[in-house]
Amino acid sequence: MNKHSLRQFRLSALATSLICAFGYAYADTQDERLAEVLPLITPDSSVSVGIGNWSGDRHQQGIYDGMREGKAYGFLDLDLVKRYEDTGTWLTLTGRNLGLDTRELRAEWLRQGDIGVSLEYSRLTRDNPLTYITGLQGIGTATQVISGAAGAFALPKREVSLGTTRDLTQLGFYKSFSRTTELKVTFSNEEKNGARHWGLGSNAYFLTEPIDSTTRQLEAILNYASERLQLSGGYYASWYNNANSIMSGTISGGAKTSLSLPLDNQAHQLFFNGGYALTPKTRATFKLVYAKATQDEALPHASDWGARAATAPASLRGRVDTTTAEVGLTSRPLQKLSLVANLRYHDVQDKTPVALYTVIGNGYHTPHSYTTKSGKLEGTYRLPEGFSLTAGMDYKDQDRTAPTVGDLAAVTNVRVPFRLRIEETSYRMQLRRGLSETINGSLAYLRTNRDGSGDVLTTSAGAYRAINPMHIADRTRDKWRGMIDWSPSAKLSFQFVAEDSRDDYAFRPAIGVAAADQPQGLKDGSAKLYSIDATYTIDEFWQATAYYSIDVTKANLLGRGAIVANQKTTNLEEKGDSFGVGLKGQFSSKFKFGANLDWMKSVTKQNQIVPAGEIVANYSLFPGDITNKLIRFNLFAEYALAKSSDLRFDLIHERWRTDDWTWMFAGGSPFVYNGTTASIDGTTVLAKPKENATFIGARYIYKFQ
Amino acid sequence: MKLLRYAGILLILLGAGGWVTPAAAELARNPAAQDLILKGDAKCTGCHDEGDEPVPSMLELRPSVLSIGKTRHGTRADGRTPTCTDCHGASEKHNNHKGGGKPPLPDRVFGKVGQSSATVRNEACISCHQGGNRIHWQSSAHASGDVACSSCHNVHAKKDKVRDKSTQTEVCVTCHKEQRTQFNKPSRHPVPEGKMACSSCHNVHGDNPKQLVKSSTNDTCYTCHMEKRGPFVHNHQPVSEDCSICHNPHGTTAANLLKTRSPFLCQECHGGSDHVRQAGLLPNLNTAATSRFAAGMVGRGCLNCHTNIHGGNSTINDSNAGRLRR
Repeated sequence: MNKHSLRQFRLSALATSLICAFGYAYADTQDERLAEVLPLITPDSSVSVGIGNWSGDRHQQGIYDGMREGKAYGFLDLDLVKRYEDTGTWLTLTGRNLGLDTRELRAEWLRQGDIGVSLEYSRLTRDNPLTYITGLQGIGTATQVISGAAGAFALPKREVSLGTTRDLTQLGFYKSFSRTTELKVTFSNEEKNGARHWGLGSNAYFLTEPIDSTTRQLEAILNYASERLQLSGGYYASWYNNANSIMSGTISGGAKTSLSLPLDNQAHQLFFNGGYALTPKTRATFKLVYAKATQDEALPHASDWGARAATAPASLRGRVDTTTAEVGLTSRPLQKLSLVANLRYHDVQDKTPVALYTVIGNGYHTPHSYTTKSGKLEGTYRLPEGFSLTAGMDYKDQDRTAPTVGDLAAVTNVRVPFRLRIEETSYRMQLRRGLSETINGSLAYLRTNRDGSGDVLTTSAGAYRAINPMHIADRTRDKWRGMIDWSPSAKLSFQFVAEDSRDDYAFRPAIGVAAADQPQGLKDGSAKLYSIDATYTIDEFWQATAYYSIDVTKANLLGRGAIVANQKTTNLEEKGDSFGVGLKGQFSSKFKFGANLDWMKSVTKQNQIVPAGEIVANYSLFPGDITNKLIRFNLFAEYALAKSSDLRFDLIHERWRTDDWTWMFAGGSPFVYNGTTASIDGTTVLAKPKENATFIGARYIYKFQ
Repeated sequence: MKLLRYAGILLILLGAGGWVTPAAAELARNPAAQDLILKGDAKCTGCHDEGDEPVPSMLELRPSVLSIGKTRHGTRADGRTPTCTDCHGASEKHNNHKGGGKPPLPDRVFGKVGQSSATVRNEACISCHQGGNRIHWQSSAHASGDVACSSCHNVHAKKDKVRDKSTQTEVCVTCHKEQRTQFNKPSRHPVPEGKMACSSCHNVHGDNPKQLVKSSTNDTCYTCHMEKRGPFVHNHQPVSEDCSICHNPHGTTAANLLKTRSPFLCQECHGGSDHVRQAGLLPNLNTAATSRFAAGMVGRGCLNCHTNIHGGNSTINDSNAGRLRR
């Protein structure tokens, strides 16, 4: 032991001795400190109970929140969290909206980094905003009876609301085998029930689609992640089961019409993803997905459908195989240059056997398959002052199938043109600035060209041969997007966004089509968005915000009347204005306050220029613009009764206005199926043009650790 | 010196005799016990301690340092849990600063002032979170746009807004303004109600088309709308190709998330000299609205009769089957 180490020993021995001797005093200090720190580092729990009342019905605004009716509601929310520090075990119980139809409850036990299980229940309701005065019997079932003509077959009418409910139960399991390897398994079961507004099919009679289905999903993922290599592979399966495969609507005292419903189907998928750091600056990735989806339930057949075609198999034996493969490379070859490149192959093969299901009308099954090869190359160069310049190119080449002679014995039933190949190339450039404390932003430009080949024209006698189906038509798209984040001072900041996108659909005469037959379909379109957000931070406790956005979308559509010369033009436009202001803060450590006002207006226009002969007697063109307006004012105040309990008050006022004539006669009165309430069916559809509702609620919140 | 030695021995004996508190003994055994939350955090919490915590404010302008202790990143029993310097860098200059004035910034800065580049900030997160559905992060749209993990995530917060579906949208719409407007349209998904969040459909850490959770639009939609998957006896081509040809999932004024109302939407693909050509018409009052022309475009428009628009399984020996009316 040299002199230096001897001295070190003596000092450390002394220090230890002093600690031991003054342990009490130190411990007191440490305990006091722990007592002070512990609340700051221990997970929080809370329970909230309350009651609130909506003053009026909210047919439109209450479609999803379980509070459609104007009445009192109870609230119970839980957020219980307990962590055992010695094992890193979490116990959590989270409950939301437990007093409402939209309740959610989730429990989890997790030993972090080791093993965990979770169980979740969630209900989602969707209430149709319309109200029906109808005689329809059997709503929600597969056998429905429509009111007959006035007299013995007329069914009593009553007010009906439609909606669906989804009850989801999900089980999760997690296991970490090592620092690099983990397994995640989830299984979910969702029951969907209710009724959806539908139609009889032959004639416009009111019918509802019975919803009684079960969806199950299972996913098991094994993840491996080391410093350089990451792999993720697994299995995903999903099953859809519908309790009803067919339904009927019978006019009371009259004929029955049967309609098919979605059949059971299932899909099984295997996936495998990976990434590898070739060097600290270069990374390679891959993705492989293979899925097989089948639908092989016995096909239903109804007595009113007549004799089944001899050529029709008992089952569709539907099968769609999907294969996705992708390789990618990201690199930073220079300090200032980064590159991203990838190639993707996505193949959807409908392998369902082609068969003739209905002789009349050549009702063949027509499988649709798509093979898409795409690629991306993008480079970003860092410039001085936080600027960077990005340039990129995307390419897509898609092979598509179309109904052919092989599919359709008599090719007389193709009502829409198809294309066998589509190519799309996008070029984009972006100048961006970041990392500044005062002004950041970006300006981007994108140009996309889409064209194709292998046009398959319509063969159906009544169909136009060369209409431009919007998703396969030749198209040029130019898009600008600018964004600025500006903070003129530490307290004030603005955000500006401007976007302008224009689509131009080319009218390249197709082979075999007379020029006079062109053009039809979409001609051009545009989308604009302007938005400004401002935030003013008054001090550490108060902040005011405001925003205003305008969006305008346009599409110009060309069509034709009964004869070529009868050109028809439709100019569609949708304009939205949104405005909001907010203030939040606290008067003291005990009293918090917040208020928001949001205002939204949308105007939908459909200007039609229609030759006079195209307006059928007793019918009128759509009346005009549709304007929807929403004002919502939220206010809350929270007062701390004690360190562990708060009292919160909420006030919400909503005003919804619409002049939507979708479910109206041309004169503005509510639409009645088949003309009058005394006719067959005679269902009246009511839409609420106006909603005013105010919510007042109070909650008691108890907080603990 | 002898006196000191004897005093030390005496004091050790006192300690061995049970006069020492467990905390003090732990401290004696392990000086690192002075850490407040994470292993080795004393280096940082020596200054960023409880006294340095901001006064609680709803605005959370200055994040609490210690509240990371409430989160998964504060679970010390998990051997993978990082310490301050794993994310903020060793920051020796910052740590060794003495005297007056502000110390130099840490090696990796997440705050607005003196912020490190997105790549540098993301390296801290990626060093642990590169696996799973973040394998393709580097080729994602967000990474290409220099969006950092900390642009959306607040790692120190006891509740990270973006990881809670009831508050996640507030974070996303700070950049995605168009969707903020669309979520207020009459037809929409239950996003404002917090029953769905952007991440219900999007994996913003991945590079799937449109940053969707599945490899295609349809596969994403089928996770909730599996009845549309088919295949059907009578297919409707765009349905099997891409739901977004007709629907805008973020919100529309037309019912059922349709981009525009019938017949205009349908006439973007369909035209003909028969009833397909008809204009947007409403029946006048008391018109017997039963025939395909007479129903006009009231209500569901073309779908008044073409009820099975996503595909039908009817085997009726009639052209109605192929036309999706049965």
